[in-house]
Amino acid sequence: MSGHTLAVTARVMRQIRGDRRFAAAMIIIPVLLLVFLKVVFDAMDVPSVGQQRYAVLGVSYVIHFVAFLLTALVVVGERVQGTLVRMFINGYRRLEIVGGYLGAYTLFATLQSVLVLIVAHFLFSLDYSMGELGQIFLVLWLLAILMMSIGILVSNLARNVAQVIPFVPAIVVPALFLSGIVVEVSKLPTWAQVVSRVIPLYYSTQVFGSLFSSGSIFDDLWAFLLLPILAVVVLGFAAMTLREEL
Amino acid sequence: MGEPAISIRNLTKRYPTVAALDDFSLTIPTGTIYGLVGPNGAGKSTLIKTIVGALRPTSGSVSVLGHDPLDDRWILRRRIGYMPQENALYEDLTAAQNVRFFGAAHMSGDDLDEAVARALAFVELSDRADSPVHTLSGGMRQRVSLACALVHPLDVAILDEPTSGVDPELRRAFWDRFRSLSGAGATVIVSTHQVSEVVECDRVALISSGHLLLDATPHDLLARSATTIRVWQRDGTVRDHNADDYRTELPSILHADVERVELVQEPLEDVLLHLIEEAR
Repeated sequence: MSGHTLAVTARVMRQIRGDRRFAAAMIIIPVLLLVFLKVVFDAMDVPSVGQQRYAVLGVSYVIHFVAFLLTALVVVGERVQGTLVRMFINGYRRLEIVGGYLGAYTLFATLQSVLVLIVAHFLFSLDYSMGELGQIFLVLWLLAILMMSIGILVSNLARNVAQVIPFVPAIVVPALFLSGIVVEVSKLPTWAQVVSRVIPLYYSTQVFGSLFSSGSIFDDLWAFLLLPILAVVVLGFAAMTLREEL
Repeated sequence: MGEPAISIRNLTKRYPTVAALDDFSLTIPTGTIYGLVGPNGAGKSTLIKTIVGALRPTSGSVSVLGHDPLDDRWILRRRIGYMPQENALYEDLTAAQNVRFFGAAHMSGDDLDEAVARALAFVELSDRADSPVHTLSGGMRQRVSLACALVHPLDVAILDEPTSGVDPELRRAFWDRFRSLSGAGATVIVSTHQVSEVVECDRVALISSGHLLLDATPHDLLARSATTIRVWQRDGTVRDHNADDYRTELPSILHADVERVELVQEPLEDVLLHLIEEAR
């Protein structure tokens, strides 16, 4: 990590710390969503075994869209207020800026994932071993990084904040229906199965599927590896598409 | 005369419906305070953004310290300081944190600590260093923005309307600072639409509708202003006479009924407005 990347990370961390309302909302909202999920499960009389699985998938869905929202407004916000151009003219480079954002939000997302997992553990009385919980955390963490990278990419492509808004349902809603959380992907029509392959949540759901069936996330190694691979690819693309010129 | 700090040749920047700069050429000598003067929408900010490499010109060329602002951006960015028209600051961070962040692109450690303290002292904000920007007044934010632009050692400072919305006392302080920068050898380019600031510059370019109307010293501009002989007569009437013809006019002006005579200089603002109107 270069000095410039660290400077961006430190600056964003200070901003998150300074904006307590934002930080609190980003911690409290995922926890609240888990509480709602628990209420629904109880109302539907979902058996304990099902709750164990769906709680993890529910947590992954919450982390997936909160991580995306964390970064989706970042770059466009800086572009609108003029600080992005100022960063470039001062000598910050594209990869340093994108890496700096990701560094800061990854620290935040790590804290968020740990907290959400702890809440889920007690709320749903999860019966996973420490090793399994560690594996669940690793998948959630990689998923969060991938979704933050996608958020930065979407933010790059927008000229103003309003242009980001349509991307939110376009990314969040299909993930719920086509990722395998609600219905098995193999039961979907062929075209929908093809679409599911571009949804990050599909890969995390596959990995969790192997955890539920064999106790290891590495049984579906390819799906597991795709999470960091896609994150690197998307992040590289986000850095390449970050416009320096007005 | 040495190499100019900035050389602009036949620069055109065209947007779909308008040409913000049209075949614009200008040479800015090293070490001067150079004013870019013109009404709002004249093309000053477009010119500045092209000089700092934030805008790609449609045609023509720009050379800053002998470098192309786009091709050699990483060389140039170490040597220029840029203050945009909007404050472009992080509102949640303190004044010192803002200056430190932009300074961190150029230096680190003790050098950075010293540079941040020096830049804040330069804009007389040392006592508000730890105040979040959102708690500062508009003038103070302008000063933080100036400190961010000047935190690192630089050869060219490019400041887009730095005194806009600033009270007269602070404006005076800003110009003193620009003069001290220039005295240290830096080239200072300042855009303004306030005509009163023209006299603070070593040279000025008058820009209107994307064209360069005039490249002159403030002295040259003042020489263009017409002088009028204003005569107060004892009966209360006031007459203006063209001072250019004073040799022929004077005998008829100076007679027994004259109570007072005054030379009236045409304001600089009127000179510039006439030039802009003539160009239209």
